[in-house]
Amino acid sequence: MIDLRHVSKRFGGHTVIDGVDLSVEEGEFVVFVGPSGCGKSTLLRMIAGLEEISSGDVWIGGERMTDAEPYDRGVAMVFQSYALYPHMTVAENMGFALRIQGLGAAERRRMVEAAARKLHLDHLLDRKPAALSGGQRQRVAIGRAIVRDPKVFLFDEPLSNLDAELRVQMRIEIARLHQTLANTMVYVTHDQTEAMTLADRIVVLRGGRIEQVGRPTDLYDDPDNLFVAGFIGSPRMNFLPGVAAGPDSVRVAGLEVRVPGLSSRLAPGQEVQVGLRPEHLTATEGVEVPLAIEVVEQLGAMAYVHGSLAPDVPVVAEWRSGRPRVGERVPLRFDPRDLRLFDREGRRIR
Amino acid sequence: MAAAGKRERRSLWIAAIPMALLALSCVYPIYFAVNNALKTSKGYILDRFGLVTDPTVQNFADAWGRARFSEYFVNSVLVTAGAVGLLLLLSSLVGFALAMLRFPGRRFVFVAILAALMIPIQVVLVPFYRTVEGLGLLNTRVGLVLAYTAFFLPFSIYLMTAFYRGLPRELLEAARMDGARFLEVWWHVMLPLGRPALLTLGILNTLYCWNDVLISLLVLQDRRTLMVGIAALRGSTRPTCRSSPPGSCWRRRPSSSSTSSSRGASSAASPWAP
Repeated sequence: MIDLRHVSKRFGGHTVIDGVDLSVEEGEFVVFVGPSGCGKSTLLRMIAGLEEISSGDVWIGGERMTDAEPYDRGVAMVFQSYALYPHMTVAENMGFALRIQGLGAAERRRMVEAAARKLHLDHLLDRKPAALSGGQRQRVAIGRAIVRDPKVFLFDEPLSNLDAELRVQMRIEIARLHQTLANTMVYVTHDQTEAMTLADRIVVLRGGRIEQVGRPTDLYDDPDNLFVAGFIGSPRMNFLPGVAAGPDSVRVAGLEVRVPGLSSRLAPGQEVQVGLRPEHLTATEGVEVPLAIEVVEQLGAMAYVHGSLAPDVPVVAEWRSGRPRVGERVPLRFDPRDLRLFDREGRRIR
Repeated sequence: MAAAGKRERRSLWIAAIPMALLALSCVYPIYFAVNNALKTSKGYILDRFGLVTDPTVQNFADAWGRARFSEYFVNSVLVTAGAVGLLLLLSSLVGFALAMLRFPGRRFVFVAILAALMIPIQVVLVPFYRTVEGLGLLNTRVGLVLAYTAFFLPFSIYLMTAFYRGLPRELLEAARMDGARFLEVWWHVMLPLGRPALLTLGILNTLYCWNDVLISLLVLQDRRTLMVGIAALRGSTRPTCRSSPPGSCWRRRPSSSSTSSSRGASSAASPWAP
């Protein structure tokens, strides 16, 4: 449905998007994630046609759309700030694109009402945006996109202005909408929970380049590099400095651990970063390491325990049984199969 | 608590006295002009400041007919309406373009417009007159409409650009996503949203155009606008002294809410040669 072919964006001498290649299948829900300034919103705006493309091509629905006007691309966009026309009612906002198309008032009203019913907005059609709550405004913005029946929906951090509870509700609504409409959706967020829960595939961006593309669980379980491993997952993966002790073993936190399943051989003495997720540190069996608890983040059903395995080796562990206390020294266990190794450049060692 | 409320009320009353006097000083010239306009010649000479005892509208009829105010009034209305309409249209379009669109030289254009604000009208009067004459627009209402538009456009553009810059850019982008082209975005989104600024601009430009004498005197030499007519009346010996207060009433009509109108009213109410 969407093909980005080596697209780049330069502002003056500064490259914001650097030769991105990406294919999005029809009906797919793709989420762009990355830290602030990584170019995820710029890339979305390039697909929308709101940002000129310095080089490369954008294809949508099999047609080259690099220089096409936004409307001619058959895409609809939901903005972070909603961008509702404040002088128009909800119905006028939703029907604006149809009005520009030249549709009659009766036909417009019928289509707007149909879209409004899907989003439970039927009772708000005559209100102005100022008289709506944040969640309602967001639904109107989505309704404005739906009513056009576009090939592709683009979402630019649509939930970032909502409070936590509303964000969860709207997230579920967007997921439901994708199941109902089955349209292609591209979604930008910096919230990895949104990315993990909504996406069919996640695109992780950094410095205008794609770091990794894959299913959420693939990115979580099998990251290509240190950046993706650290970016996906909350709390982030623990990274422990280690040294290769043999072709398939590393010395880390004073222990020598054999890492199973490595297809490449480690050079003895090679410096590595050993990645281990917080939930993998409380296995019932495996290699045991002592942890001096320094801080406990109690969440009720579970806790995040911050401590050190050795001097200058801080870690976070997810604790699901009992109530850990600051100052305690407790044994942690991990399965060596859960270790992820990265070389000095941050590339994954598989 | 009650004592504090009483003190506050007292201080409010104390503050109200100078404010009321100030308000009266603004209203008094209007009262003076209307009061004298309704007097007969005799009544005016006998008691210039007293309340009218035998009101008459004959002075208004004289000013309207004999002093050709009816003709001047039509000129003023047509020229002001034309110029203000054109100013609002152009400044809204240019302001939208300068604030929202990205094109090379945008900043230069804006700075050039700002620079035009710094040139006093008096400096360009001679070349302006020659241009109007050269274009064959002398003694035409169109000429005066275009002259007003040219002189007041830089400020109008500046105001509209500043206003549109305050609007979220996403509105333009949302409209583009909805399929609106340049003029459609302007017409459906920017123009309605710019209503508060356009209203302010409309009032200001109406005042400027209605009260202007200098440009009008240069362009519309034979036909005259109301302000030029009133100014000419003050130096004339033909109309009676009573024609001028009605004249100043006409003059005040569209601008009674402004300070400039107060100034206009004050000068109109000043003694003049009978």
